[in-house]
Amino acid sequence: MPELGRAALAATLGLSLYALVAGAYAARFRRRRLALSAQNALIGAFGTTVVASIVLALALARSDFSFVYVWAHTSLALPAGYKLSAFWGGQEGSLLLWLLILTGYAAAAVLLNRRSARDLVAWVVPVLAGVAVFFSFLVVVIASPFATQVAALDGRGLNPSLQNPYMMSHPPLLYLGYVGLTVPFAFAMGALLARRADERWIVATRRWTLVAWTALGIGQLLGSHWAYEEIGWGGYYAWDPVENAALMPWLAATAFLHSVMIQEKRGMLKVWNVLLVLLAFGLSLFGTFLTRSGIVSSIHSFTEGSIGPWFLGFICLVVLGSLALVFARLPLLRSRTKLESLVSREATFLYNNLLLVALTLTILWGVAYPIVHELVHGEQRFVGQGYYNFFLRIFGLPLLLLMGIGPLVAWRRASLRGLAASFAWPAGAALLAGAVLLALGAGSSIPGLIAYTFSAFVLASIAFEFARGTRARRALAGGSWPRAFSQLVGRNRRRYGGYVVHAAVVLLAIGVAGSSLYDSVAEGRLSPGGTLAVADYRLTYERLVEREAANATEVRAVVGIERGGKELGTLEAGKNAYAAERQVTNEVGIRSDLVTGEDLFVIAEQVRPDGSVYFRVFVNPLVNLIWLAGFVFLLGSIVALWPDAREQRRLADRYARAGLPAEP
Amino acid sequence: MARPAAKRSPARLVIALSVAAVLAVFLLYTSIAGGGTPMIQPSELDGRTERVTLAGHVVGPPRGDSHGEGLRFRLRNIKDDDGTVVEVLYTGSVPDLFRAGRDIVVDGQLQPDGTFVAVPGTLITKCPSKYAS
Amino acid sequence: MSLALLLGALLAAACVVLVALPYLREPQPADDALEEPGELERRHLELSEVRDRALAALKELEFDHRTGKVSDEDYRALVGPLRREAAEALRALEPRAGARTRVSDAQRG
Repeated sequence: MPELGRAALAATLGLSLYALVAGAYAARFRRRRLALSAQNALIGAFGTTVVASIVLALALARSDFSFVYVWAHTSLALPAGYKLSAFWGGQEGSLLLWLLILTGYAAAAVLLNRRSARDLVAWVVPVLAGVAVFFSFLVVVIASPFATQVAALDGRGLNPSLQNPYMMSHPPLLYLGYVGLTVPFAFAMGALLARRADERWIVATRRWTLVAWTALGIGQLLGSHWAYEEIGWGGYYAWDPVENAALMPWLAATAFLHSVMIQEKRGMLKVWNVLLVLLAFGLSLFGTFLTRSGIVSSIHSFTEGSIGPWFLGFICLVVLGSLALVFARLPLLRSRTKLESLVSREATFLYNNLLLVALTLTILWGVAYPIVHELVHGEQRFVGQGYYNFFLRIFGLPLLLLMGIGPLVAWRRASLRGLAASFAWPAGAALLAGAVLLALGAGSSIPGLIAYTFSAFVLASIAFEFARGTRARRALAGGSWPRAFSQLVGRNRRRYGGYVVHAAVVLLAIGVAGSSLYDSVAEGRLSPGGTLAVADYRLTYERLVEREAANATEVRAVVGIERGGKELGTLEAGKNAYAAERQVTNEVGIRSDLVTGEDLFVIAEQVRPDGSVYFRVFVNPLVNLIWLAGFVFLLGSIVALWPDAREQRRLADRYARAGLPAEP
Repeated sequence: MARPAAKRSPARLVIALSVAAVLAVFLLYTSIAGGGTPMIQPSELDGRTERVTLAGHVVGPPRGDSHGEGLRFRLRNIKDDDGTVVEVLYTGSVPDLFRAGRDIVVDGQLQPDGTFVAVPGTLITKCPSKYAS
Repeated sequence: MSLALLLGALLAAACVVLVALPYLREPQPADDALEEPGELERRHLELSEVRDRALAALKELEFDHRTGKVSDEDYRALVGPLRREAAEALRALEPRAGARTRVSDAQRG
């Protein structure tokens, strides 16, 4: 069966190569049947990749240790779910997953657009195929999942840190995001190649970008949650390069989502949008390069590994090629519309973009600087949290404020007097909140107080927007408040969905501020019966328990919790010892208070043979808002994504009447 | 290209100034706080007694108790191993991923007796790539 | 092993057929040229976008005015130019659109 897998991947490579060459030729020389043939090849590449994926999945499910990959990442004792998720637990398999999603997206993009944007799709196909050629080359030549060996008796097992529901879902979601950014990039480049200056490519890829961006966001939240529970140091984001690898494209995509709105409404920023989508896509490639190539541990491991240089080469090719294309088509992209006023929504979006891109580039610098420095000076450097936290505050806090200002300002031009009327209520609410928080002691952290006050402003402005929109709708069409509300949202899904997403980001900001700026910590060694106090909790170490799980021995310290004289039950914290993988992991105990949103976070750092345990305990206020934000984020995105029949008709009409017929 | 008779919008100027301001903030910060702290290898420790960030590869079994008298372990160079080994004495939290064979980063100072005494709580294990074989 | 070989061969055959499909379906097509929007069509598209933008901006202005985001005086200042823009866009589009539908009607008929 590995032969079938290898053959299928070779077929993918062949089909992608054909789609690239034939597609480019067909687009350049206007050959209709050849263009269709290239499209079919790209769609076929998805089919062959599915076949290869099934082969690998079956091998994993059956624990066929003649596959080196199955042996390296699973064991007989591994629970079934993790056997399957080991598909993306290693280099080769995760590359195959990337290829699967890429060809899947490519096939879908082609199928959905082949009738209504023929000339555009003709050029999009070779771009998508080019990326597919690269990834299929990697899995065929450099890192094949189908290497074989003499079947071993048992496998090496899966890294225990990955044996966790979050780690099962985190990579696929991230990839849906990373790879998803390929589609708007391909359409942007396709439009340039087809010499089209209109916004067809944006209309075609709007939903794709939103889906990719949502997936990338949720994927990162899952990853952070995993880090919080599994790695268990009390935090959820360490500004580690592999974490930043996913944050950077997400920030760039956020900027892109906003700036395409300006192009849509005003026809401005055509060049900027193309550059942004290139940045987002480039960063997604760079991100996956960072997490695979080992470059961040040291330059040395990078040159030892085989995959790094290929990625770097491909990224350079993509960036340089795209920039050359943009430069060549620059005259085409000039727009005559100018920014009318600094007090307008366009201006707030521009500032939003400026701050987002600035934040992205500073994070990129933080990641790249140690590497560059080592190349130049030979000495390694380390960029710590201080650097990132500084820029997060200085760019992030104004961004937070802008989220509240933007929705209150109209397009084109707003007079300051008109603006003051809109601002009064939310600003008042924010100042009130600030005063209350100050009285409650939030002044212990100035950035925290500012973050909270800004958050209050944004939430108030969102509520205000919903309220006055509903009121206007009701005044217009009558009916009850709930009905007016649903009509309001139904007719303006992107706007109000966007507001919900903003609310999610605010919840995230509040959660981050609370848990990182207002947290408490206590530690100490306890013997059974000993107590430890932290914030207003009192913990009592009761006893130690030991039990056997499927593939690990679990040792837990049972801890009793008490707050304000009231018994709150117990939690367990301890360690797992994995037999096959020969690793010991930390298993933290978390008690989430659903009313206050805070977490009591208990780490049993050391379990001594004499039964005494060294505990480290955190109280993280409001941290659960971060996870809640994920759900609100998803809700907002779904609302924004929901198809609007009227708009679809209008767009179809626009492109049909322009003489680009829907049917041959 | 026809030049409009109307006056140029100040918007362009403001945007350019904003970009410049952002750049200025960045340059100011990196020039004051420095672009990262120097990270040195055990072989480069020679004679340096100020506080540095030491990066190395953990060899041999760690001994002792980080929450007691201190955890002791040895570090060698991650790359270009010339045999230099330095003994580290560390107190404080030890990350889950720490063990012999991992690359770590820790702040501290080299003592006259040749031991590198670490600043408590500064031990960081590099997130090992999931894909490293 | 032989099953893998058989499946592999089937896969290869399917790929070849898929790629050759357009040629198999139309061995002798009347015309093999890939359509692309001509100058007229591009212009029409651009004007459509301008029209849609103007109309959408007008609609949004009305809505924003009703919700109170745009004050009365701002509304008065903005609505005139916007209406003119929309009218211009519609005018620029109409004669051409008229001609095109007539032409394409003729072609279809």
